[in-house]
Amino acid sequence: MHNVDFFDSRIIEGTATSIILDNGKIEEISVNYSRGVGVRALCGGSWGFTSADGELDLQKAIKASSELAQGMDSKTPQDKVELSPVSTLVLNDIPAIKVDPKNIPIEEKVQLLKDIGDHAKIDGVSSTTAVYSESSMKVQYSNSEGVNCEYELMRTGFAISAVAAQNGAYQAGRESRFGVCGYELFDKHDAFALAKSAGKTAVELLGAKQAKGGNMPVILDPELAGVFAHEAVGHASEADLVLEGSSVLENKIGEQIASPLVSVIDDPTLHEYGYYPFDAEGVQSTKTTIIKDGMMESYLHSRETAARLGGTPGHSRAQGNSMPIVRMSNTYIDNGDSKFEEILEDIGDGMYLIGSRGGQVNTGEGVFQFNAEKGYLIENGELTTLLRDVSLSGNTLEILKDVNMVGNDLTMHSGRCGKNGQLAPVTDGSPHISITKALVGGA
Amino acid sequence: MYEMAQKTLALAMKNGADEAEVYYANSRSTSANIRKNMVEGAKEQFSEGIGIRAIIDGAVGFASTNIPNRLEDAVKIAVDSARVRESDPDWTGLPSNAKYPDVTGTFDKKIVQMELDECIELALQMIEGARSSEILATSGSFSRSYSKHLILNSNGVEVEEEGTSTSGFIDVITTKGDTATAYDFAVSRNHDIDFNQIGVNAAKLAQGSQNGISIEPHKTDVILHPFAFSDIIESAFAPSIDADNMQKGRSSLIGRIGEEIAASELTIIDDGLMPGGIETGISDDEGVPSQQTSVIENGVFKSYLYDSYTAGKEGVKSTGNAARQSYVSTPSVGLRNFIIEYPQSDVISETDSGVFVNTVIGAHTANAISGDFSVEARNAYTIEDGQVDKPIKSLMISGNIFEMLANITGAGTDVRKVGGTVTPSIRVSNMSVIG
Repeated sequence: MHNVDFFDSRIIEGTATSIILDNGKIEEISVNYSRGVGVRALCGGSWGFTSADGELDLQKAIKASSELAQGMDSKTPQDKVELSPVSTLVLNDIPAIKVDPKNIPIEEKVQLLKDIGDHAKIDGVSSTTAVYSESSMKVQYSNSEGVNCEYELMRTGFAISAVAAQNGAYQAGRESRFGVCGYELFDKHDAFALAKSAGKTAVELLGAKQAKGGNMPVILDPELAGVFAHEAVGHASEADLVLEGSSVLENKIGEQIASPLVSVIDDPTLHEYGYYPFDAEGVQSTKTTIIKDGMMESYLHSRETAARLGGTPGHSRAQGNSMPIVRMSNTYIDNGDSKFEEILEDIGDGMYLIGSRGGQVNTGEGVFQFNAEKGYLIENGELTTLLRDVSLSGNTLEILKDVNMVGNDLTMHSGRCGKNGQLAPVTDGSPHISITKALVGGA
Repeated sequence: MYEMAQKTLALAMKNGADEAEVYYANSRSTSANIRKNMVEGAKEQFSEGIGIRAIIDGAVGFASTNIPNRLEDAVKIAVDSARVRESDPDWTGLPSNAKYPDVTGTFDKKIVQMELDECIELALQMIEGARSSEILATSGSFSRSYSKHLILNSNGVEVEEEGTSTSGFIDVITTKGDTATAYDFAVSRNHDIDFNQIGVNAAKLAQGSQNGISIEPHKTDVILHPFAFSDIIESAFAPSIDADNMQKGRSSLIGRIGEEIAASELTIIDDGLMPGGIETGISDDEGVPSQQTSVIENGVFKSYLYDSYTAGKEGVKSTGNAARQSYVSTPSVGLRNFIIEYPQSDVISETDSGVFVNTVIGAHTANAISGDFSVEARNAYTIEDGQVDKPIKSLMISGNIFEMLANITGAGTDVRKVGGTVTPSIRVSNMSVIG
């Protein structure tokens, strides 16, 4: 009816509440009610996309998007895009909310946040900030192939950061937990203990030494190794980046690209922060093994990339009513069988890098740079001096091959991942891993 | 729209707010996306919504919505949230109505009138600039946007402003020989960008970066391209001059007004009035008239940046630095056009030996309080005898932003608007590089 080959729409409606606490005082209470639509239309090989806010006329949006696609197709015609077929959707196992945050008075949430802030303010901590957030979101998907589906999801979480100051030097410690759940998040995680630990990190780091940079054997803790799995491996396995020629993992399917100890998995069905029951193209979410025992097994796909490269779709995501793109969900390095003590003993001398203050990666060249929250020197298999401002950089394919031991203590960390200006809730995880040689940056 | 905003404001007051503010924003943008040497899709985004701040006894509640029939709920919850909070003695009030300056170069009718065909054409120009048998344009986009906002508050502020912008961005990779990538971009309020040139620049940079050499760790002169310098300064320095951070004890510049903190020829101005500036407007995002603020003058630290809350707390005047990401967020302190000035010269030819860095990755991981940073330099080159010499394969640069500002010894003539930051290439002496 719109003279296009395909169109689909997502209507997103939600309420989000956040409370920000700064040094024990409420800095902000903010509530947002939003509704929006995102419509895609495909004409030949050209995509049109229209998004609009508020009270919307879906037919008008489909028409606008179709006109964009047609306009593109007539001005710059391209090879026809095929979409891989999808099987019938079965919605089950959607996380149940045990305690609906909507039923908790705002005064109680404010008090909890104040208590979390107080627990971070141990001796030596000069300031703290804490954030609470909850959001409920309803997603309705439909397309020109007759698929109609919807789900509702609740996300709840908190973050705490503590700063310690001494003689003009400042150090910070942070902890956060977010999940696809309700207020029961606070039963699962001991927020007060985490707050205390953030405070402790900040104070300890004041006395930490500057790291000496150079090439050396390293152990990554589960959080930093998880960031590596996500940033360096996960992004490079996103099939849209592979197709545009921006991935070092291009043409690597079936090749041994990593130590046989390494398996990397992306699993949106896990009830972690990156969970979704179906993706932004109405495709059932499924677990994808990216690397199995060191062998590159699969990219992450949308329907378009799956049709072009061969693969299974289900990794298309969008922030709100933005244009869907290929994304990760819950990405992790799978457990090995080494105990942390064994890894430590094996490495002898080197550096132990803990936590993450973020990082960046160039997926095309396969190079990355991550800043750890802190580190320890390892001497004779013992953790000795505490180090601050340490960073890790290197070449993804080299590091994957140089993984020497993989621990048995897989832990997941929730966060948000940015791509093309869109943020998506994700988790990253890993057990402890050791790497025979990596470039550590310091002062 | 004006009437709806007025009604919303009146409703907030009726619900019991002492003061209230309505921020309405509306935008429309079109973009054409590049993938693998092709323009593969077009996007049109319409956004419209309203944010309400309600204040009771100095406590602020905030709510926002883009659903007209939830507007009353939003007003109610903003007022209720203000009631939940304890009164804030530091709150002095929303801004009052004022005389607003004139600004120029922020609206270009040609951008509003652009048809889809022209948007596609401009994206194609970037690809044409970049593509060759040795270069592939992997991704990128052209975009144009029109936006309008309205700020009304119960102290009489009524600011309405509209503006335009266009931008182009391209990522390229080499397809023959050693793999190297590069990007280039430009943003303007007017239809004056040379899109072909963006492609040409990126291609040249990627090809020049092939077959990089390794270098030994050492301390040397580093010249930072505007892209690299702006990235580092925004992540490692800007947080220290934010009055909110300073008041909360999270800045290395607490109590240091009047001190020499940078090279004596360095001046940094925060300017909300710069003709055609990306962050230019008659007022900031809560209706305080825009101004120019000297942050560093000849090396001496002159001023923090304030919004009306942080200014009121200290009994000084707002510098017009309230910024909002969108109607869903409350204002907080943000940079306007951030102008870096240093005597310009042909700085590469005056450098015997050193490193030229085009872009960095990881600047956002800088320690925002101490100013320590460690970043991966991309598209970096050695400088020998006053000339750019060889590409460097892999390089980390690390240091401290305050030491870096003190060690600035030169600037190029290549001033770029990198978003709101306006800067030439900057030479810093004695920086640590690890190859």
